[in-house]
Amino acid sequence: MQTTLAPADPAGLEADRWIQVGSSTKQQTELAVQEALAPVLGRGEPKLTIIFCSPAFNLAEVSRLVQAAVGAGEVIGCSTAGELLRDQPLSGGLLIWALGGDGFAVTTGVGIGSPETGLRDAAHDAAQCLKRLERKQHTLLFVLADGLCGDQMEVVRGAYEVSGAGVPLMGGCAGDDMALQGTQQIHSGEILSHAVVAAAITSNAPMAIGIAHGWEPLSEAMLVTQSRGTTLETLDDRPALDVYLDTYDAPAEVRNNPAAFFDFAHTRPIGVARRNRTEIRYVYGADYEKRSLTIFAEVPQGGMAYLMQGSSTSVLNATSEVCSLAEEALGGQPAKGFMLLECVARKSLLSNAGLLEESLRLPTVRDEATIGGFYTYGEIARTEGSGGLHNQTVVALALA
Amino acid sequence: MSTAPWSLHLLSEVLAAFTVQSPTALRDVVSRVAEAVDAEIMGIVRQGEFVLFVGLEDQEKALLEAAAAERTPMLTLSGGCLHLYWAPLNQGESMVVGRFREEYSLEERALLRAMARSIQLSTQVLAAVKAEQEALRAEKQAKELAIREATVDSLTGLPNRRCLLAYLADRLAHRASRPGELGLLFIDLDRFKNINDVYGHGTGDAYLQAIGVALGQFRNEDIFLGRLAGDEFVVVAAMAEMDKLCRLAEQILKRIEQPWSINGRTLQYSASIGLALAEPGDGPEDLLDKADLAMYSIKQKGPGRYACYQPFMREQARSKADLEAEIRHGLRTDEFTTFFQPIISAAHSGVVAFEGLARWRHPQRGLLDPIGFIGVAEEAGLLRDLDARILKDGCFCLAGWSSVQQGFSPRLSINLSAASLVDSALVERVAAVLDESGFDGHNLLLEVTETSLVSDVERAQRNIIELKRLGVRLAVDDFGTGYSSLRYLRQFPVGMLKIDRSFVSGLGHDHDDEVIVETIIRMASSLGIQVVAEGVETADQQSILSQLGCDFLQGYLLGRPGNGHASEQVFERSEIRLLQLDRDAF
Repeated sequence: MQTTLAPADPAGLEADRWIQVGSSTKQQTELAVQEALAPVLGRGEPKLTIIFCSPAFNLAEVSRLVQAAVGAGEVIGCSTAGELLRDQPLSGGLLIWALGGDGFAVTTGVGIGSPETGLRDAAHDAAQCLKRLERKQHTLLFVLADGLCGDQMEVVRGAYEVSGAGVPLMGGCAGDDMALQGTQQIHSGEILSHAVVAAAITSNAPMAIGIAHGWEPLSEAMLVTQSRGTTLETLDDRPALDVYLDTYDAPAEVRNNPAAFFDFAHTRPIGVARRNRTEIRYVYGADYEKRSLTIFAEVPQGGMAYLMQGSSTSVLNATSEVCSLAEEALGGQPAKGFMLLECVARKSLLSNAGLLEESLRLPTVRDEATIGGFYTYGEIARTEGSGGLHNQTVVALALA
Repeated sequence: MSTAPWSLHLLSEVLAAFTVQSPTALRDVVSRVAEAVDAEIMGIVRQGEFVLFVGLEDQEKALLEAAAAERTPMLTLSGGCLHLYWAPLNQGESMVVGRFREEYSLEERALLRAMARSIQLSTQVLAAVKAEQEALRAEKQAKELAIREATVDSLTGLPNRRCLLAYLADRLAHRASRPGELGLLFIDLDRFKNINDVYGHGTGDAYLQAIGVALGQFRNEDIFLGRLAGDEFVVVAAMAEMDKLCRLAEQILKRIEQPWSINGRTLQYSASIGLALAEPGDGPEDLLDKADLAMYSIKQKGPGRYACYQPFMREQARSKADLEAEIRHGLRTDEFTTFFQPIISAAHSGVVAFEGLARWRHPQRGLLDPIGFIGVAEEAGLLRDLDARILKDGCFCLAGWSSVQQGFSPRLSINLSAASLVDSALVERVAAVLDESGFDGHNLLLEVTETSLVSDVERAQRNIIELKRLGVRLAVDDFGTGYSSLRYLRQFPVGMLKIDRSFVSGLGHDHDDEVIVETIIRMASSLGIQVVAEGVETADQQSILSQLGCDFLQGYLLGRPGNGHASEQVFERSEIRLLQLDRDAF
């Protein structure tokens, strides 16, 4: 787990910033938008509105209605694999997360990629919004990417080329309620796919990121001997699938049934070794002929990797501690609100254990702080180094 | 559980970063090395400038560049203290990595230093690979462009003639032996030249592009199409039955005939389509030729139609080609001559004028009326020569009669084709003939059809105004059968209307014709335009026309066309009066 520390905010500026979340599970689009927007519009005109929306909705209609309601403010968003509030996970719902007040300024950007070329250039293009931003003391780049388009690590690389080390990077990969067919992104009323949308947020108060996952190595470190893009071919020169199945002592069904493998792999990720941390990679498929594994993001060739293990308890603890980690990094200032992005695979694990609601109780977070986010196909959080793509992790953005 | 030593990981992953060989490898390598060594920044600097870099925005990157010469181990930036390690490469190059919070340990520095030379060699190799790939890509693109230019029509983006013929050859070579499984539609836009002439070539090109897009909508795995040349498009369809081919032709005609908005104008034109099915032994040119013949055959019957190829069409085409050659020969050897038909004053029953009419003394077939050759002459672009011939004959002949019949200067009316009317040399030619023959331009009327007036209004108007300066006036021939627009009667200085014979023939027994003729006469009278009724063949018709106030009459009842000598004899017949008109009459 990592946090970024930010200097203390000058006193007396709390009043000029607000963060508000609204949500709805109504099925009728207009009513859902109305309900989700009500608390946001009650606070004033937002500088940035982020739509997290189930693909069950017509995103174009949602986007049009939200854009019309918020006036000149920037609007981005994406489809999800579930939305989350404090105490309450949503399924098939709509969540609107917004910030406003003179203490914030926002610019947004968009870039379009393709399954053939990936999202690196798209992320690079989207991140250009940073260059149009008149910066205050604290700046952050928030990105939402198509979670089913190429290697998600490329999103971090493309965005980092623009943001560099001076600007923390945070965001998530859009979902589609686990249909794994295609995700959508929203930018200024446009509905896109194979895209990256970004918001450059600057504030006169600190913003900080917390990262937690709760997974521990099960295996010894292994050398990634062959890996390309999202395909992990060999570990220690053995077929990656065989290493995976043998290490976890997978039952027979998992060894020849893709659906059974998919469920099995939910709770058995791969860890990529970094100097002082381990980044998690979600295994979501197996090629039984080539004996390789399909990963949501690259496991770099030449690096060290572990097969990971975790329990519902360790995963639960990660969720409950991540907001505290982020808030602690605000330099003593209280968080006005949080953006919480959690991997959809963790949602499955916690649901199966009946712990999903409990995971969102977050007793360490003050009642006044708003919390909203979504279940993702990948989490982006760069606070140190130049990487920052995570799977089966929960990341929180705290805003003072 | 033991964890892997960091140094081992660093060494392994950094070196592995160079095994990537994608075209963007250098960009990848920088990112991968930075990630592998857990650095915020990574770059390769050559003579004070970064050739590869990631990790800082422009302003702070410039600070780092400034520090490159001294290889400073630490730089204070907005994010804090950046710890740097500079590993020397060769020839003034260095690799730099940097991270906030923690210095590089001795072990890390030693490994980075040891790997520096490998990194340099790898980046050089990758740079060379990249350059080679780019050169290969450029070569490939140039080849693709050359192929595209050779096979694609640059205006419409459709396959061009060469590509079409190659496709046809391939399909014909590989088709099964049974006939008729491959059909071809030869599409020729009707009156396309008119668009170019009237609206300009830019509009014409835009129209062709629009038609190309429209035809493209018919393309599927069984239908291939391209632009052959000019306004000709070809559709190749994998269809075994002529019925299906006909349905396709009907759909295409319907699509083309829709109004098109081009450059702010609404254009609505049609097309003619010839259809042919491939037969055993047919090559690409054979199939094209058949469909072309069918198209040509149907176009003569009117616009917006299609026809299927029939063997007799070839014979027709050959006959037409022979006739065209004979016309050319006839023009060279003075086989064409002028006949004259008298025009009578309805009020005074005296001859006031003659219409000069073309005749062809064919060496084998004898004397031919224009109906037997005028259509082919027009298609072959020979009407200007023929018009010039009739004009010259007529002027010289009537000038001669005037000199013989003292005090009688009959008017001459001759037909002028649409091609002549817009010919830039027309005025000069008429002036020369008048000058050479001594015929007074005020006695000359040029008869044009309503259709030829509107084909290119601007050029026609220019010529007519210039002719008026020579005293030459304009008569509208076959009035009532074309556009019959009052607009051009106002737009052009029309001096005479000639009522078409089809209306005159109905006088005395067809009430509608009488109403039409009466209306034309009244309308002309109110506009100050004189009227000639053509095709007067009975005394009844003559009487009715006189009663309706028609000015002049022409027809077999009053005199058949004859050659110059025969017409001259008119003057000697006692029952014929020669009537000298005032200058402005007729």
